[in-house]
Amino acid sequence: MEKAVEVHGLVKSYGQVQAVRGIDFYVEKGKIFAFLGPNGAGKSTTIEILSTALQADQGRALINGYTLGQEDEKIRSTIGVVFQGHHLDDLLTVKENLLTRGSFYGLRGAKLDQAVRQAARSAQVEEFLQRPYGKLSGGQRRRADIARALVNKPQLLFLDEPTTGLDAQTRRHVWESINQLKEESGVTIFLTTHYMEEAAGADYVIVIDHGMIAAKGTPAELKEEYAQDQLRLWAQDQAALAAQIEEMGLEYQQQADVLTIAIASTLDALPIVERCRDHISGFEVLQGTMDDAFIGITGEEIRP
Amino acid sequence: MIIFASRNLKLFFRDRAAVFFSLLAVLIIIGLYVLFLGDMVAGDLTGVPGGRFLMDSWIMAGLLAVTSVTTTMGAVGVVVDDRSKGIAKDFHASPLKRTTLVGGYLLSTMAIGVIMSIVGLILAELYILAGGGELLPLGNLLKVLGLIFLSTMASGSLVFFLASFFKTQNAYGVASTVVNTLIGFLMGIYVPIGVLPSAVQTAIRLFPISHAAVLFRQVLMDVPLDRSFAEAPPAMVTNFKASLGIVFQFGDSALSTAGSLLVLVVTTVIFFALGVWRMLLPEKK
Repeated sequence: MEKAVEVHGLVKSYGQVQAVRGIDFYVEKGKIFAFLGPNGAGKSTTIEILSTALQADQGRALINGYTLGQEDEKIRSTIGVVFQGHHLDDLLTVKENLLTRGSFYGLRGAKLDQAVRQAARSAQVEEFLQRPYGKLSGGQRRRADIARALVNKPQLLFLDEPTTGLDAQTRRHVWESINQLKEESGVTIFLTTHYMEEAAGADYVIVIDHGMIAAKGTPAELKEEYAQDQLRLWAQDQAALAAQIEEMGLEYQQQADVLTIAIASTLDALPIVERCRDHISGFEVLQGTMDDAFIGITGEEIRP
Repeated sequence: MIIFASRNLKLFFRDRAAVFFSLLAVLIIIGLYVLFLGDMVAGDLTGVPGGRFLMDSWIMAGLLAVTSVTTTMGAVGVVVDDRSKGIAKDFHASPLKRTTLVGGYLLSTMAIGVIMSIVGLILAELYILAGGGELLPLGNLLKVLGLIFLSTMASGSLVFFLASFFKTQNAYGVASTVVNTLIGFLMGIYVPIGVLPSAVQTAIRLFPISHAAVLFRQVLMDVPLDRSFAEAPPAMVTNFKASLGIVFQFGDSALSTAGSLLVLVVTTVIFFALGVWRMLLPEKK
């Protein structure tokens, strides 16, 4: 297995605030890797460090095989970054922006034109190539940002919250572009998000909170481990139902006439429902979601 | 570097407000003169042949010196914008060399300064013409173009160095306003230097860009001085030149043209070096 990113003991503080407190992880080449965490967890800081925009206090990292801090120039020419916020010029057209930024990589003339055309096609920005960046909609801007990050044909693409602030449809559109990129060019994608359902689309997820790694695994593993399935019963005779459940040795939570029981898998609900059927008017089985897994890991609701 | 500089140029010239405000000082000075200062200053010269032409040339020379500062100030705004909007972060994550970045900023600043000063020169000549004066002869025109280049280099370097201390657009905007307001006084272009208190006179002489105003005056007033003082005693001419800041007196001796040129060159070298040094400092957050 080849590693696109390898990180050991990364630490970064802003004055008194410790943004990243010693994290280790690696990213497999050609995969979509998601950094999931609430706001202020240290995701953006990590991306800024790995993309050479920020210096770490401690720790070392290899990016595309180059040592961070020593071979930054080489790292910069082999990565593409979409930072949070917008970093293209409002008054220039998308094409002018791409040409300018493409020139940063030593591309000139026909090679530059070719690179811009290809990046524009990959990120699907061709239809508004001639419009000023400042006049685009949120989703169009985001795609233009991605096109800019692709202009040097990177091996590794960092996307810091690429879909934040976009509507559901546009979000899906951006994700289609991301998946297509992975399929077509085999680029490794390292993205951060605070949307659980998005992390579910990644090959591997690391949950980060308070600057530390709280959990890691494939989305299925995380769900399996941290999200619980639930059985909800609507009581006809509350007392009898409660007695019946206690007799089976199960824990429950009661809210009005609904009793909720945590179960290991959805199938476990069947025998319980069977035994209680005389005392209930209805039931519902809920499968654990990435949201549950996230809350299970960070122990709190998503911070605004 | 050229591509990056042309990006900065496009950003400046597409921002109509930036272009307008960098020329605002010019328009205000012309406005002030048309409305009242002109009559006041020229009024002292009634009876002198070509007095109006002389004084129009005097104020337009000051205007060109001011323009080199205000327009480069506007141009350098791109640097502060990039930093405050976080666009600089994108540059730092690219294999773009810091020297290319700084070179591109300087190149575009100087280009904008020269282009806008030439616009200022055209306006100035039109104003002089409208007041009954004459256009510059070709030789002097070339000299003025050379001076525009030199004064833009000096002001641009100074302004570039100043801008390296600003991290937000707001702070820079306020600083620009203050500079634009004060610069005319600091160069002694509204009121002849001779009538000012001696402390103020010293401040004006010590401000290096004032020497650009001196040089512009020497070239622009070359012809009108000949017209007006063809038959005047030499002592009176010397006195007049000192009083209007066509030459700067340090003690009993007057600074030569070469001296003023040297002041500008030295200013350029010092602040260019300081500005480049400031911009090349690694930004460690």
